[in-house]
Amino acid sequence: MIELKGVTRRFGETVAVDGIDLTIETGEVCVLVGSSGCGKSTTLRMINRLLPRSSGDILVDGEDVNDIDPQALRLNMGYVIQSTGLFPHWTVARNIGLVPDLLKWPARRREQRVNELLTLLGLDPQTDAARFPHQLSGGQAQRVGVARALAGDPNILLMDEPFGALDAITRELLQQEMLRIQKQLNKTTVFVTHDIDEALRLATRIAVMDQGRIIQHDTPEAILRQPASTFVENLLGSGDRGLKLLALRTVGEVMERHPEPRRPASDTTGLNEADSLRVALSAMVWENATQLPVLSKAGCEVGIVKREQLLQVRP
Amino acid sequence: MPVSTAMPNRVIPVLALAALGLVWVLDLGVVLPNRIVAGTGYGLYGATGWAGAFVVTALLLAAGLLATRPVPKRFPVLAVLLTAALMFLPLLLEALATRRLPADSAYARIGIGAGFWSLAFFLALMLTETMHQLKASRHLQLTAALLIILGWWVCARREGLGSLSLLREYNNQADQFTQALSVHLLLSLGAVLISAVLAFILALAMVRRKSWRRPLLGLVSFMQTIPSLALFGLLIAPLAALSEALPVLQALGIRGIGWAPALLALIAYSLLPMVRNTFIALMEVPEAVVDAARGMGMSERQIFFQVKLSLALPVIIEGVRITTIQAIGLTAVAALIGAGGFGTFIFQGLGQAAMDLVLLGALPTVFLALAADAVLSALNVRRAPGD
Repeated sequence: MIELKGVTRRFGETVAVDGIDLTIETGEVCVLVGSSGCGKSTTLRMINRLLPRSSGDILVDGEDVNDIDPQALRLNMGYVIQSTGLFPHWTVARNIGLVPDLLKWPARRREQRVNELLTLLGLDPQTDAARFPHQLSGGQAQRVGVARALAGDPNILLMDEPFGALDAITRELLQQEMLRIQKQLNKTTVFVTHDIDEALRLATRIAVMDQGRIIQHDTPEAILRQPASTFVENLLGSGDRGLKLLALRTVGEVMERHPEPRRPASDTTGLNEADSLRVALSAMVWENATQLPVLSKAGCEVGIVKREQLLQVRP
Repeated sequence: MPVSTAMPNRVIPVLALAALGLVWVLDLGVVLPNRIVAGTGYGLYGATGWAGAFVVTALLLAAGLLATRPVPKRFPVLAVLLTAALMFLPLLLEALATRRLPADSAYARIGIGAGFWSLAFFLALMLTETMHQLKASRHLQLTAALLIILGWWVCARREGLGSLSLLREYNNQADQFTQALSVHLLLSLGAVLISAVLAFILALAMVRRKSWRRPLLGLVSFMQTIPSLALFGLLIAPLAALSEALPVLQALGIRGIGWAPALLALIAYSLLPMVRNTFIALMEVPEAVVDAARGMGMSERQIFFQVKLSLALPVIIEGVRITTIQAIGLTAVAALIGAGGFGTFIFQGLGQAAMDLVLLGALPTVFLALAADAVLSALNVRRAPGD
């Protein structure tokens, strides 16, 4: 658990972070969202003491971070940045093995861990491990960046606009990966972004920041339904709020499940349980259908989702 | 750019034709009645007769022609051919000696002509291009260079080239030559080493303190602008005075002339490239990499050695390379203030109008610079990550 109590950071005359209180529960993904200069990165960098705070308290599992040796503190906090910050003169394997190396793990265990992470992030231990960062695509490099942050098995993950420099398709792919990995590992994560869609997608709770203050701190759904101010409303955008709301739920949550999986009719399009309701609605509009079958990975029809169910999401 | 093997190579034929023209027009060698009087020049045909002229002409034509043909393995064949040609090049001078040297004169000698140098130069260029086309490893290039040196060494030890003026000058001064070599190396490498340490400290200071950057860079740049001869001269008076005042310095051999002012001047000249490269290299380490390193939990010491210095090292070594080559050349000038080294032969030769004595000083200086360049470049290639 990370607790920020009245944390302030001044750069000379300007106040970058203005007395914020924020509690991040163990295992949750807290996304700090806001426009540039709102203090979200500064907040993140104060947690691992890359920046000293001007006043207030930051506690990790009840202990003030200022009482912990900064290196020990950071070794237990994975750190991912937008420009990856991979060491250009080290191979992918050595980059990922950095923290295990600093923690003086035996070579065997380190190697094992590196391979494990390459696989987890969808990279190939055979071919990718020996490559250098400049030989990787942007998406691959950021996968390595995430793998490096996870290598020491830290309790906390700090991510500073990790997918900000990637193209839309790669970004979405990495967001999916991140959701999958988070389901598996349950790291307490602080994630900074200026992209509200990314925030809605990844967050357990979102902290909307503006001018060094937290405007609203709540679940994505609550923020969508009851934005605390016009600023938050503008951030969300009024045009597609309904669709954004649909995007928060999955087909699996609202579908009518068949008692027994059955064989689907051969010519119909099917949805997956993991698809969002937004995707489901889009498919129905496209297919001009009032309902669509839900297929399992094996291709069996496990249930059905109806259009009126989708439209009832907002009570 | 290396091109596909099927493409005709245009560089080698052009070089071969240029070499052919020059070797036929210029004098291959000179027969001198003694070490000072101007001699009689001999062209390729005059020096080596029909047989020699044929071999040289045929070899250049064959090499040029082969390069334009889409024959498989033409570049390996060319590499072997050109290496062998360079190895046995001194035999042309031996032919000149056998054919033209008056047998009755003990002072008569053979001088090397412009035609010989041109031929050697263009053959070397052709070999370089061949190696480039072959994408030859450093290993292979080094082997070729060593084979050529070995060839020249073997040729130089043969009876027939005993009358070569350069070798005569060497034999006259064999002891001084060895001493000059060690002095030259000690002075230039010593200066590089000391200035490397100084430059490193200065560059670190500049990285840490912004206000030091301009004055320090200005100072080392200013030192670079003083003409070398002037700097050597300027140091004589203050060092002489210091040496007068402090007997300790006298006991160490520090006087107004000799190695001390030479070393000081060399260090002053070496500082600019070293400081600039080290400073720029350290400054250019990407901020994000350092941020990530710190964020991952590396200590400042680990960040400096494993990240900053590691990343900066190729550029720093490049600075050392430039400095070393420059220092080896400047050390030759330092002979003027009695520092010793190969410059001694150059200035002696100039004084006595004995050009081969000048060569005896100049050639090893060039060779040392080339060797330093090769070694330090190899060091950098080994450090660069694969692509």
